[in-house]
Amino acid sequence: MSMEKENWIENIINSSNGITSVAPNANLFSKIQRKIKEQETISLKTLWLVAASIAVLILLNISVIDFKSKQTQSATTAYLEMTVNKSNQLYQ
Amino acid sequence: MTHNQSHFEKLYHEYKTLVYTMALHYLQNVEDAEEVTQDVFVKIYHSLDSFNRKSSYKTWIYRITINQSLDFIKKKNSQKRFFVFGKKSQNELEYLNATNFEHPGILMEHQEEAKILFEVINTLTENQKTAFLLSKLDGLSNPEIAEIMQLSISSVESLIFRGKQTLKERLATKFETYHKKK
Repeated sequence: MSMEKENWIENIINSSNGITSVAPNANLFSKIQRKIKEQETISLKTLWLVAASIAVLILLNISVIDFKSKQTQSATTAYLEMTVNKSNQLYQ
Repeated sequence: MTHNQSHFEKLYHEYKTLVYTMALHYLQNVEDAEEVTQDVFVKIYHSLDSFNRKSSYKTWIYRITINQSLDFIKKKNSQKRFFVFGKKSQNELEYLNATNFEHPGILMEHQEEAKILFEVINTLTENQKTAFLLSKLDGLSNPEIAEIMQLSISSVESLIFRGKQTLKERLATKFETYHKKK
């Protein structure tokens, strides 16, 4: 490796010498606090949405089960009526 | 103000410079480093109760900062790929090449050389880059780096060694291109 190349590489690597720590903008903390509050409000909203969706789902399930059981009941009654009628056929 | 909030505020004032400077090392962009710093402290706020104190606050905060910075680069790269329908890259170059070099911690007279240095640092693997930044720029010892990266000291030593080797090799190639241009 030539001397010139080596010096150039050393120069580049040493360019980070004397690097200092940097403090962020003074208003960053208030931005962070705002972001935390926003996230909390969003999560509260999400919580309510989820709760409402679950309630709607439960109501739908109850109404479907109710409808189904009524249907089975009427079917059973119809079947019973039919069989009763059949057995009561006196003149076949 | 609750106890948690005052504790959080204390942590912020103690570690804000560490987080912001580390984010700058990774991203070399003031605006993006600020965004990552915000995300790091929001994460710290939410995880404060679950912090198990197996490591020090400093180590824990370093880990969060490194992960957030790497995630930020990946997110930016995938956003870019989504719009251009490009293929996945192997390193962070896509996003980092697209942003302007800004590092207020670098001395004014070294800015030009430092830009070249960071261009090459950005081509290193994630682990090599992390080990190199923590060692060379943050001045941490190998045992400290090993604790942060959750690796053995010998692995850290080898990462730093290989990182420096690669850096020198790639700078040598860069030297040739610079001289051909001249």
